[in-house]
Amino acid sequence: MSPFSVNMDDFALDSGALAGSLAGRLAAAREAGFNQITLHASDLSQHAQGVAAAVAEVLGSGLRVSAFDALNDFEGLSGPLQACKLDVAKALLEMCQAVHCHQLVLNASTLPGAASDNATLVRHLRQLAMLAIPKNIRIAYRAHAGAHSIRDFGQAWDLVCMADMPNLGLCLDATQTLASPCTDNDLEMLDAEKLFLVQLADSLDLADPQARLFPGEGVRRTELATFVSTLHTLGYRGDYSLGLSNPDYQSLPAPGVADRAWRAALWLGQDVLQRSVPLPNQIRLRRVLTH
Amino acid sequence: MVAVSTSSPASGADREAIPDAPNPIGLDGIEFIEYATAKPQALGQVLENMGFKLVARHRSREVLLYRQGAINLIINAHAKGTPLPDKPVISAIALRVRDAATAYHRALDLGAWGVATQVEVMELNIPAVHGVGTSRIYFVDRHKVFSIYDVDFTPIPGVDQQPPATAGLHFFGVVQYIGNDRTEDWTEFYRELFGFTDLPPEQRFGILPKGRILRSPCPSASRFYIQLIEPEASVLDVEDDEGLHRIGLGSADVLATVAELSQRGVEFVESGSVHTEARGALTKTLMGSVSFEIVHNQQA
Repeated sequence: MSPFSVNMDDFALDSGALAGSLAGRLAAAREAGFNQITLHASDLSQHAQGVAAAVAEVLGSGLRVSAFDALNDFEGLSGPLQACKLDVAKALLEMCQAVHCHQLVLNASTLPGAASDNATLVRHLRQLAMLAIPKNIRIAYRAHAGAHSIRDFGQAWDLVCMADMPNLGLCLDATQTLASPCTDNDLEMLDAEKLFLVQLADSLDLADPQARLFPGEGVRRTELATFVSTLHTLGYRGDYSLGLSNPDYQSLPAPGVADRAWRAALWLGQDVLQRSVPLPNQIRLRRVLTH
Repeated sequence: MVAVSTSSPASGADREAIPDAPNPIGLDGIEFIEYATAKPQALGQVLENMGFKLVARHRSREVLLYRQGAINLIINAHAKGTPLPDKPVISAIALRVRDAATAYHRALDLGAWGVATQVEVMELNIPAVHGVGTSRIYFVDRHKVFSIYDVDFTPIPGVDQQPPATAGLHFFGVVQYIGNDRTEDWTEFYRELFGFTDLPPEQRFGILPKGRILRSPCPSASRFYIQLIEPEASVLDVEDDEGLHRIGLGSADVLATVAELSQRGVEFVESGSVHTEARGALTKTLMGSVSFEIVHNQQA
């Protein structure tokens, strides 16, 4: 483990950024220096030995699962469709609980046929949050450009405020926010207590927000630094998830990509947020103690 | 001539109607509380010392009904797949409601987890939702018309089916242990699903005032409370260790109740911070988990 990890416990690596088996990705994240990881439902459900084996690997990895990014197209449905989606949500909450994760990311619905009126969306968000309470799970609602109606975090924030549930908050996607043409997105309006998760990634090209790099590697380096500093000033002390979908990185061995992610975390922690670095003597002492 | 009102202006009743807190499911008290344990006889002895009488047995399962006054306690020793713990756990609370089916479906619509019940021949289907930990919350209606126990239980021959309560004991509430920073979550759970309201911090009962107290929306005669208690600040990680911890019993005269129970052999905690007084008392923990809190309360 890196000697710098003492300052970096709030940075998680998104498992989707790495190629290979679940065990290999967990090991790569751990070896790079991360103490936590963000998982997707497919990480468990597509495991060759089944979900139970996947859960055992996650629990045995020593990594904390900071978020389970899993639920899509939940809100706004009705009748049998809503009942079906409710069953999916319950199953995902149980998977989330199985890996001792306390945060489920709900991605805003992409379905054109789903209701988009505030009253319906608020009712469904409250229902999901209530389902999550006995499981000790928080719901982080994420706006994104592919959603049918909730494309900007300001819209998601309004719904979170209207729903007014203690375990319902916002998942803020930095790339979506920085690329959004919406001018109403003002980070200052957010209550840091209700900001549950921040997803960070950089871009290869300003015109293509999907081509992603780890923070600091791309064209939004300066904007991301300002973004993270602003959140810190607002009082945000929650987790940052480092993720991307990059074909290049998917074709490389996981350890090397995880190392790149860790360098991004160090850039954020040390250069941007200017956290203190352990003194050399302390590093040596720690190594002596742990070996 | 000017008519002079004789009513007290302080009551305010002649000026405006101030409604009681809403009671969305017609909650009307606790019908029973259930323990699960692999040692029903040992727990039964604890309950008998507390003044309970074994009045009935379940028709087909190892389930016992103990009663005193209006308090029904059930000991469930019927293992369903997983072995039961030796240490008793409070596994269910049954709430009296106006209409059980309506209350159940309303709870599901609001986001409660329904419990799939396995009903056998000649048994009642009591709808339930999941509560804290592994516990359940049952909905019971028509409790004034007929007893749910008449269907599922066989009375013990020769035993008074309505044994009087020791010193007027009645249900006062339940203490629930919760994880760090979980008070708001559980307050919302009980508020949304059942209409509970949280009491201001200065309003406390008994001798253990920690945490937050939620008041049920029941009429005063059947009102009960849930006390939510987070871990001590020095305890870092007990987030998955949540559950119903102990039952609170109301008494109009705590000291007289304690004296009577002491004669039965019940021992009470006497320590620097917790000791018997007119406000309340706490029984010593038996079987590793069972204690009762006596709380001063004049039942309406």
